[in-house]
Amino acid sequence: MEQKTSVFQKIWFWLIIAFFYLPIIYVVFFSFNKSKSLTKFTGFSLRWYQRMFESRPILEAIGYTVACAVIATVVSTIVGTITAIGLSKCRRVLRETINQVNNLPMLNPDIVTAIGFMLFFTSLRIQTSFWTMVLAHIAFCIPYVILSVTPKLRSLDPNMPEAAMDLGCTPMQALTKVIVPQIMPGIISGALVAFSMSFDDFVISLFTTGPGVTNISIYVYGNVKRVNPTINALSAILVFVITTILIIVNVVPMIKERRAARNVTASELESSIR
Amino acid sequence: MKSFSKMVYPYVLWAVIMIIMPMLLIVLYAFTVQGNSVLTFQFTLENFARFFSDDVFPIVMWRSLKMAFITTIICILIGYPTAYVIARNKPNKQAIMVLLITLPMWINMLVRTYAWRGILSHMHMSGEIKVYIGMVYNFLPFMILQIYTSLSKIDPALITAANDLGADSFQTFRRVIFPLSLSGIVSGITLVFLPAVSSFFIPKFLGGGRYVLIGNLIEDYFISTGDWNFGSAISLIMAIIILISMYITRRLDRQPAEQEDN
Amino acid sequence: MAKKLIQVQNVVKTFDKQVVLKGISLDIMENEFVTLLGPSGCGKTTLLRIIAGFLEPTEGQVIMDGEDIANVPAYKRDVNTVFQHYALFPHLDVYDNIAFGLNIKKMPKDIINQKVMRMISLVGLEGFEHRDVTLMSGGQQQRVAIARALVNEPRVLLLDESLSALDKNLRKEMQLELKEIQREVGITFIFVTHDQEEALTMSDKIVVMKDGEIEQIGTPVQIYNEPINEYCARFIGDSNIIDGIMKQDRLVSFDDKDYECVDYGFEKNEPVDIMIRPEDIDIVERNKGLINGEVKSVLFKGVHYEVVAETSSGTSKTVTMHVTGERIVENTEKKEKISAISFSMDIEDVKDMTDSDVIARANAQAWNFDDEDISISKVSYDLKEEAGAYPCTFSTENGTEITITINVVQPKAVEDISNEESIQAFDFYTSVTDIRESVALDTDLIRWADAYAWSMEDQSRVEIWDVKYDFDDETITEGDYPVTFSTQGRELKIETTDRIEEGQRIGLKWNPDDIHVMRKMG
Repeated sequence: MEQKTSVFQKIWFWLIIAFFYLPIIYVVFFSFNKSKSLTKFTGFSLRWYQRMFESRPILEAIGYTVACAVIATVVSTIVGTITAIGLSKCRRVLRETINQVNNLPMLNPDIVTAIGFMLFFTSLRIQTSFWTMVLAHIAFCIPYVILSVTPKLRSLDPNMPEAAMDLGCTPMQALTKVIVPQIMPGIISGALVAFSMSFDDFVISLFTTGPGVTNISIYVYGNVKRVNPTINALSAILVFVITTILIIVNVVPMIKERRAARNVTASELESSIR
Repeated sequence: MKSFSKMVYPYVLWAVIMIIMPMLLIVLYAFTVQGNSVLTFQFTLENFARFFSDDVFPIVMWRSLKMAFITTIICILIGYPTAYVIARNKPNKQAIMVLLITLPMWINMLVRTYAWRGILSHMHMSGEIKVYIGMVYNFLPFMILQIYTSLSKIDPALITAANDLGADSFQTFRRVIFPLSLSGIVSGITLVFLPAVSSFFIPKFLGGGRYVLIGNLIEDYFISTGDWNFGSAISLIMAIIILISMYITRRLDRQPAEQEDN
Repeated sequence: MAKKLIQVQNVVKTFDKQVVLKGISLDIMENEFVTLLGPSGCGKTTLLRIIAGFLEPTEGQVIMDGEDIANVPAYKRDVNTVFQHYALFPHLDVYDNIAFGLNIKKMPKDIINQKVMRMISLVGLEGFEHRDVTLMSGGQQQRVAIARALVNEPRVLLLDESLSALDKNLRKEMQLELKEIQREVGITFIFVTHDQEEALTMSDKIVVMKDGEIEQIGTPVQIYNEPINEYCARFIGDSNIIDGIMKQDRLVSFDDKDYECVDYGFEKNEPVDIMIRPEDIDIVERNKGLINGEVKSVLFKGVHYEVVAETSSGTSKTVTMHVTGERIVENTEKKEKISAISFSMDIEDVKDMTDSDVIARANAQAWNFDDEDISISKVSYDLKEEAGAYPCTFSTENGTEITITINVVQPKAVEDISNEESIQAFDFYTSVTDIRESVALDTDLIRWADAYAWSMEDQSRVEIWDVKYDFDDETITEGDYPVTFSTQGRELKIETTDRIEEGQRIGLKWNPDDIHVMRKMG
């Protein structure tokens, strides 16, 4: 595919990028507005940030969002990884059935999955609360964890567990000392996906949360009708935090890789000299 | 090792309770009337009869499907050239370009849609067009990434081979690159069409409250009206329509391959 | 006499009703290099995995030092394995891979260090301790895998196709090195491979396997010189294997001639397989050997030549090729040309003939004055399933047309009773240009003459091996030429250091004890 790109192609690409970033820049820009307007910039101020940090509902929403995302990520990553390992070794029929079932929440529209959970909790007479939301989040995150761990397991040498046991590992040791370290990149990316799915979720949270429990998305949804620049301030902070995390996640491995590559060439040189 | 396969069993139980049961409950509610408890219920088709005999519901359903369809087409038309441009760059540059496309996706969809509300409030256009902009904005990255993935998997040797066999660059595109990227388009369609049909906050944020889609109806029946049985029936109808359209889309991908076999 | 270390007794293994091992019994001695040899799917790897403890036998026992270990898990066995793709742990460096087993046993760090360093020097990887194993070459990875297994001081080392991932030169080097390591550490090696050369160079004992059963057990020399059947003979070394009949003790016959041999103990006139190794055949002057032949091909193999000589011809049929001038019809009005050639065909093929077959057989082509191809839009003919000559007309969209004759004939096949083969071909027409322009003349001649051969035993198709003609395709002119098609005759492979020319007529000779007679496989 690699070929020279024309000027026209470059312009096209940057137009698309502009389209993607325009609203983000816009929202950050107006978070510093002095007035309440979202269309006229009247001067720089941090009052909406101050207002935001004084707002109990917003702080609570942030707290609930983070707590829910952390719990959902930890549980779904552990359960998803264990299940993925089991799936890689179990009978085909079972594996394919589970994969089909996992497809349900991924291929169904969110809203269908969401009302399914809602009906489920009420039918069992479970009062919806923070914990029902967490349960629902765990349920829809696990398939994504399985999805990102499975390819790593598949690329594993099929003799890996045998090699470990051949060298004296019990099956449990083979798991913790050999298999898990090797599929770690898949587990981490699964955890990242789970975290972001849970953190950004709106539809499923809306239908499964209990009275008084609001996450960021639900807060934004509930307050969008009024002009409310505190949402801009909240958004700007989210953009800042997420961008920082993403830069670290994406840039650090690149630097590491480059350093590793340099080390290898250095030692290669060394051994060729000898 | 065989013993590892036992690690699946807890999840099998979980999946039955947390995935299959909720789905079955939707079906159950859709075929019963309000006031039944789980233990004593009565089978009925009333909810479906109500949906199809009403003037509004089929129109809203049709509008949602049309909207999702047009959104998908726009996403293909914009997404394909974009993915193609990315795939033509050097590998390390491709990685950065893909990163640029994915970065905004990590920021809450509601927040980004909320931002469009501010921008579009400057402009005089119909609610419908604003909703289209919001939809394309939210779902275009999925289409670009899917098509890009399938394009980047194409073995460069195939293109060299096509050129060697006398195909010019347009013929190479039409006869080699495009057919091989079809699977990316198909999975892109799944990722765009599906959430677009059921989307309900985009029309609510950008449509000025007058532009109602099927997702808004479902939300209303569950959150405001509290008629869960009818809401379930609407969801079920939507899910079935989506299932059928997904099935047709997948056929699109497979057909050319079968023709080549013959 | 060495002690028996492992006894495999009547081991049967089935996977989902499929029997992979059909009752294997095998004794393995201490300090022995044993090779399990066979093609993929013969069960050799399954047997190895049962010994390693990764699989449990469905039936039978594996006894090590007098104890049944069939139910002892792999991690408690005194056995280590070098895996096919090494299964090195990519998250650990060379040192930690080798130290892995000792770390699991929680040995003191200083002892681990000593043992690991000793292994590293045994396999010659000094200086590579902290390399990333994924960045090493195949040969280096192989050494790490061997060191990782040997450091645990197992009594048996199992190697599963361990050299197959290496390139040819490295493989040869590693063969010697493995044997050397085995001598040095003095333990039993069980090696699984499908490569007979590996088996011959390294093993003390070779176990030839086929379809879940052991065919033959023996030293490399025994198996090479006295394979018990055709399967073992073909699997080990190059060989000529010929169907024959044992006339009486020490007299065997093939291709209607009797030969002396040293084998005995067969039934009178028992059908047998005869093996003669290529290096046992000597080339002598014509009529001075046991058999005469003609050299078909000579391949230089580095030190020697591999000569293939035909000693009796295959089934053949000669037909006449009518070479005509170009027959081109010109349509000056439409600026088109069309050409086609008459042909003969089998009466039986008439009913299956399609338009495109006819166009291909007649080599019908049309083109315009600019030399661009034009498609033939219409083919009209009326063939009956009856011998005779039928006209056939090809035409283009613009009405340019040409008429040829299709001769439908009752074919006459040549049957060769001694070869149990039949061959059939037709006289055919062709043009000077077609012969000159042919890219693969033999293939075209076979196609034009519709030549084919089949076995009279089971009607299966036999390849046309040879096309003979004595015209020069560059200078051919109009006229009739004979063309002979024949199947493969008796061919013998000979290894020689003498320079021999293709087409040379020679005699072949061997000693009676070079003929090895084997029972037919049941």
